[in-house]
Amino acid sequence: MSYIGLTRVITLFCLSLVLAAGCAQKIVRPTPGPPQGTQQIPVGFPGQVQEAELQAVQAELKSVYFDYDSYVLSPAAQTDLQYNAEILRRTPNVSIVVEGHCDERGTSEYNLALGDRRARAVLNFMTTMGLPPQRFSAVSYGAELPVNPGHNEQAWAQNRRSYLRVSK
Amino acid sequence: MKALLTPRWSGRRSGLVVLTVWLSVCAAWCPPALGQMVIDLQNPNEAKLPIAIPDFIALGPAHTDGRELANILRNDLALTGLFRIIDGPPAQQSSADGTPDFEAWAQAGAQALIVGSFSVSGDQMTVEARLFDIAQKKMEFGKRFTASLADHRRLVHAFGDRVMEKLTGVPGCFTSKLAFVANSHPKEVYAMDYDGHNMRQVTWTQSVSLSPEWSPDGRGIVFTSYLGGNPDLWFQSLGGGQPQRISARRGINASARYSPAGDVLVLSLSFEGTPKIFLVTPQGQVIKRLTDGRGNDISPTWSPDGASIAYVSDQAGSPQIYTAPVNGGPSRRLTLKTNYNTDPDWSPRGDLLAFTARVDGRFQICTMRTDGKDVKVLTNRGTNQDPAWSPDGRMIAFVSNRDGKSVIYVMDARGEVQVPVSPIPGKAPAWSRSPG
Repeated sequence: MSYIGLTRVITLFCLSLVLAAGCAQKIVRPTPGPPQGTQQIPVGFPGQVQEAELQAVQAELKSVYFDYDSYVLSPAAQTDLQYNAEILRRTPNVSIVVEGHCDERGTSEYNLALGDRRARAVLNFMTTMGLPPQRFSAVSYGAELPVNPGHNEQAWAQNRRSYLRVSK
Repeated sequence: MKALLTPRWSGRRSGLVVLTVWLSVCAAWCPPALGQMVIDLQNPNEAKLPIAIPDFIALGPAHTDGRELANILRNDLALTGLFRIIDGPPAQQSSADGTPDFEAWAQAGAQALIVGSFSVSGDQMTVEARLFDIAQKKMEFGKRFTASLADHRRLVHAFGDRVMEKLTGVPGCFTSKLAFVANSHPKEVYAMDYDGHNMRQVTWTQSVSLSPEWSPDGRGIVFTSYLGGNPDLWFQSLGGGQPQRISARRGINASARYSPAGDVLVLSLSFEGTPKIFLVTPQGQVIKRLTDGRGNDISPTWSPDGASIAYVSDQAGSPQIYTAPVNGGPSRRLTLKTNYNTDPDWSPRGDLLAFTARVDGRFQICTMRTDGKDVKVLTNRGTNQDPAWSPDGRMIAFVSNRDGKSVIYVMDARGEVQVPVSPIPGKAPAWSRSPG
């Protein structure tokens, strides 16, 4: 990496930490849970990323949250994605499945399309941060896999999310 | 025309004859202008035909209850919203030669009468039923069906289908089936009779299923599943066996619907970046893309002539319903009021679209004409979603949580009669095309 590039990354990283700290109160953050999705993370081969490293990266990555019926990345979401991008730069062998999720309101099919757009918005943002697109795939779960099963504003805000799931 | 469409049952004319004429007009394929007049009936309650269906008579020893058989038919006809079921006193039986006591039934307020009998031999059941016009004191038609005892509900439904055909020119849909997705983990596809009986599990994916759709022959279901980790399109035969993958492109492969001719699927694919409406072969080969622009396009439905589709797009900032010709041409926005309109389903009669709209903060089932006008809100309690027309265009299946859990409901096309049918919580009902 060139000196300028390195400087830029460090600056961005520091900036993102500052921003993240500043914005932390504004978004609802569920406590980190086990990996979501329907698939188990496949067992790798010797020489690939160690399971412990994967889990460490997973624990570091932040979910980002969306407004109702929106796939626009808020400034807070962009800050968290910059933070995620920095982690992923340090772990080049880790691939990411970007999950798009919605709250329960609205119809399943429309939410599936909305979750697709959310996942792609995150994926596209990560590639604009300079990460190689082949490290990412996007999958929409619509409203099918809520993290909070409640039927209220707080639950809905936690469920309108994109989760970055690590894979090898 | 209007006078013809607003019958009064109090006159000395035969109610059955008037009903036949009126229902025939309703049932015929109408251009939107005619459909509108049918819907505009000033007092739909007055148009209901009072019909008596006494308990079926057992001819010989039988384990089955004649009341249960009559209840199947009572429920069928009541659900169309076209009949009022008369509770006649039990003493009003037929005379020895099978002729009903017309005077007594007329006194009870009935204008039509169905008299049924049944007999069981081994594991076979025979049901015989006759429809009478009480004012005319004559039998309209009679029918005898035989099938295995386990199939006894279908026998009665089949007679109900013929009653509707006799009175309206279009067979009923009482032998048709509903598929839906269970609200459980895993989310599998189930199928049942349209009235909720004989439910059985169709998929065994151990995954999340979405948007089931019956194959045109009624022998299989296409659905979206995460069986392969991505929302792909699969086909599951009702005869069992492994599911077959139809479309597994990057992104979503969702909301597939067979064309009226059954030779093409329309669905939403996002492998090009944004969810767009595509036509594919039943094997999943892309024929062409139907929509473009920057919006999420999802939930297509065919017009019964196969010339157009309606679908949902958020290209104007919120989900709205659009139509587009299948052979090319500009799309047109139909919904103008409220900022959330989804899940269109085009009536098999062609005159109406059912859809889900957010009304005063809650989702409700609505209908509108195919030009977007004459919006009617059919539900008002709880959250109501996922409308699906019956194959005869007389009923709508949908999901409601009005009494707690979300279950599948069925209502008539005007929303007068609304009843829960699925034994378990579920969503995304799909109505079979041909009688199952």
